[in-house]
Amino acid sequence: MSRIGVFVCHCGENISRTVDVERVAKEAGEIPGVAYSCDYKYMCSDPGQNLLKKAVAEHNLDGALVAACSPRMHEKTFRKAASAAGLNPYLCEMGNIREHCSWVHEDREEATAKASDIVKFMVERVKKGKSLAPITVPVTKKALIIGGGIAGIQAALDIADAGHQVVMVEREPSIGGHMAQLSETFPTLDCSQCIMTPKMVDVANHPNITLYTYAEIEKVDGYIGNFQVTVRKKARSVDESKCTGCGVCMTKCPKKKIPNDFDQGHGMRTAIYVPFPQAVPNTPVIDRQNCTMFQSGKCGVCQKVCGPGAVDFEQQDTLTVESVGAIVVATGFKLYSIERKPEESAIQGYGEFGYGTIPDIIDGMTFERLASASGPTGGRILRPSDGKEPKQVVFIQCVGSRAREKGISYCSKVCCMYTAKHTMLYHHKVHDGQAYVFYMDARTPGKGYDEFWRRAVEEEEAVYIRGMVSRMYQRGDKIVVMGSDTLVGVQVEIEADLVVMATAVQAQDGADLLAQKLGISYDKYNFYSEAHAKLKPVECATAGIYLAGACQGPKDIPDTVSQASAAAAKVMTLFAKDQLERDPVVAKVNEKYCVGCLACKKVCPYGAVEEREIRDRQGNLVKVVANVNPGVCGGCGTCQATCPSKSVELDGYTDEQIMAMIESL
Amino acid sequence: MKNKLMHLSNETMNVGFVKKVEALSGTSVRRCFQCGKCSAGCPMTGFMEHPPNRVVRLLQLGQGARVLAGRSIWYCASCETCTTRCPNKVNLAAIMDALRKLSWDADGPSKESYVQLANRLFIENIRTYGRQYELRLGAAFNMKSGQFLKDLMLGPKLLSRGKMKLFHQKNKNLPEIEAIFNRIEEMRKKGEAL
Repeated sequence: MSRIGVFVCHCGENISRTVDVERVAKEAGEIPGVAYSCDYKYMCSDPGQNLLKKAVAEHNLDGALVAACSPRMHEKTFRKAASAAGLNPYLCEMGNIREHCSWVHEDREEATAKASDIVKFMVERVKKGKSLAPITVPVTKKALIIGGGIAGIQAALDIADAGHQVVMVEREPSIGGHMAQLSETFPTLDCSQCIMTPKMVDVANHPNITLYTYAEIEKVDGYIGNFQVTVRKKARSVDESKCTGCGVCMTKCPKKKIPNDFDQGHGMRTAIYVPFPQAVPNTPVIDRQNCTMFQSGKCGVCQKVCGPGAVDFEQQDTLTVESVGAIVVATGFKLYSIERKPEESAIQGYGEFGYGTIPDIIDGMTFERLASASGPTGGRILRPSDGKEPKQVVFIQCVGSRAREKGISYCSKVCCMYTAKHTMLYHHKVHDGQAYVFYMDARTPGKGYDEFWRRAVEEEEAVYIRGMVSRMYQRGDKIVVMGSDTLVGVQVEIEADLVVMATAVQAQDGADLLAQKLGISYDKYNFYSEAHAKLKPVECATAGIYLAGACQGPKDIPDTVSQASAAAAKVMTLFAKDQLERDPVVAKVNEKYCVGCLACKKVCPYGAVEEREIRDRQGNLVKVVANVNPGVCGGCGTCQATCPSKSVELDGYTDEQIMAMIESL
Repeated sequence: MKNKLMHLSNETMNVGFVKKVEALSGTSVRRCFQCGKCSAGCPMTGFMEHPPNRVVRLLQLGQGARVLAGRSIWYCASCETCTTRCPNKVNLAAIMDALRKLSWDADGPSKESYVQLANRLFIENIRTYGRQYELRLGAAFNMKSGQFLKDLMLGPKLLSRGKMKLFHQKNKNLPEIEAIFNRIEEMRKKGEAL
């Protein structure tokens, strides 16, 4: 006869409001095999846990059931307490009478009856439970960083400085990301390039960092501590080991009028190019779509002029497999465009702003490039249409953000601050110009942030107009901006020379596809989901994968750097152990009954099932059976449900346990 | 005028006027972030077409003309509740003073308003008699404003209770009063006073 203890929690009032916990505890005490039962206000608190420990010792318990919240919440807590009391932790189970009962029911009588039933069948499960020992798996102390923006760079440098190997994979030809595009940064107005480029060089020179640029993640296998990642290095058409970065190829390339994405399409580049002069690595790449050699087979000037013979038109994509123990995802963001979107798309464009057809309506990043000393205008604010210096500039905040009708309801968080910065940069460069800002709310929380915005208004003479713009259209060489000032209660009309829109921050293109490869979750905007909004903000629900920067949601540079360092700290915590303990809730094959149909192998989402040959002493093959690698098994139970001969079972969820639970009702 | 479409440009925003207001009042209009606490506490808000915060807002947009066209500044009782309670140290009472002066100097459209007339007669009395002569103030105001019978029935009551005297009471130091007025006029010429 088993001696089980039942511990019923009030959860403050969360459970006791709808469930008569005292009655549940009393009824539990009458179940055969239950040696002790009690209830307590907060079972997860220190006194609550002590209650469990004391009961195990005093009543010589051989199993425990805590009827409280979801096991997701506190299973670990109570198993630790049970373990401290000398009980095998896997003989301590949780009955969920909160999420599954008190929170979803109103009738006290019925809820109490249901809670009693939950306790009853969970007691049966504990009775049939087995002592289990945790599984240990080795940890590969090498981290993969996906994305080479400021988030990826910070995480990579932190992990590499701690003495671990790091592999960084960047999609573009150079690392640096969006921060390398910025002119100056709020709230101190220091030059972005000046603080960014040294870090980029540090990454390139760090002995512990392997850098793959112009590369993408092809496939991710494995699990925490033991990932196998296939990286596709796209054909650069330039041999990185030979190229010296002299740049002769770029000066000689006859195709010179290709809009440069780095300058938001406003600067021009050649077909063989580096995105910007400070690029890391400083190795050019051939844009095959625009290269005459690739399109018509005639040219090859770059190859002829290249001294070291680095240009290689025959180069192919290569696949490399890297074994890593942890992954930091830092893929960043893109900016929303007001252009016309497909009819069926959840996100829509702005017809009232001309769908992006008016050349002097630009976005914030384009303004950054205009204001940047290394930008297409050499740092002079000149409008795209005719190159004139604009005297009236209108800034519009919340374009795409906080616009449910356009498909995005979130706040992009950085626009209020960067628009304030833009007005300052404009004021510094065009002294007789006037900046106007249409805003719905000025959201400037952060150290020194509100002061920065107020400085733009009070000292830098930006006119802030509280209200949105309804429509914009071209009149002559001006853009008529029709807005309103809700503080005065009048319509406002401004004839602007240039309009800068703070467009919404969106998840990077292909963020969803990468998430599917990694097996991590993402929200409806394709931003990656953290495991817990408050207490696990850098971890993914998938163990061993961490998040940094704007791929999780809009973030400014300080927040991004903080999160990247936090992700690095999490990786280092993981790497501090040589062996990882895993939950022993894994599938086991009963080889006696297994007929080797391998249906389990087909359905296993983790790839944990292998074939195993059983031979007699003479070495003759007796039969082939399925075998589960406990290091890889995720404990989902799909094999158990599939097996036609009922010879696979998940520890802790055996058929015997499940049947006993059902029969108890 | 109140709800008319507002064109904003370097030409339509009278920054010079705002600078004058700021210099006279010694306070910055750009400082105001439009929380509305001034209007919330102002005892005269109900009479004004532009409540105090909107007066500042219009100045922020360089729309001094819109402010002077209205009578808000003349309803201001100078109680200074706005200034006392402003979270951002905007001295709105001083701004109101400055606006009234600029309106006066510019022969603002509200110059001949009753408020101004009363103010002027009040000060004239002080200058002539050295102290207030209420009967004359009331009579002169009614005559000049053309409302001959306004509040006439209050007269006997005030007289019988001694609140208003039939004859003026002369101040013995009239030359000193005159000197004060002269000094203020001098200061105003130099721009040291409103």
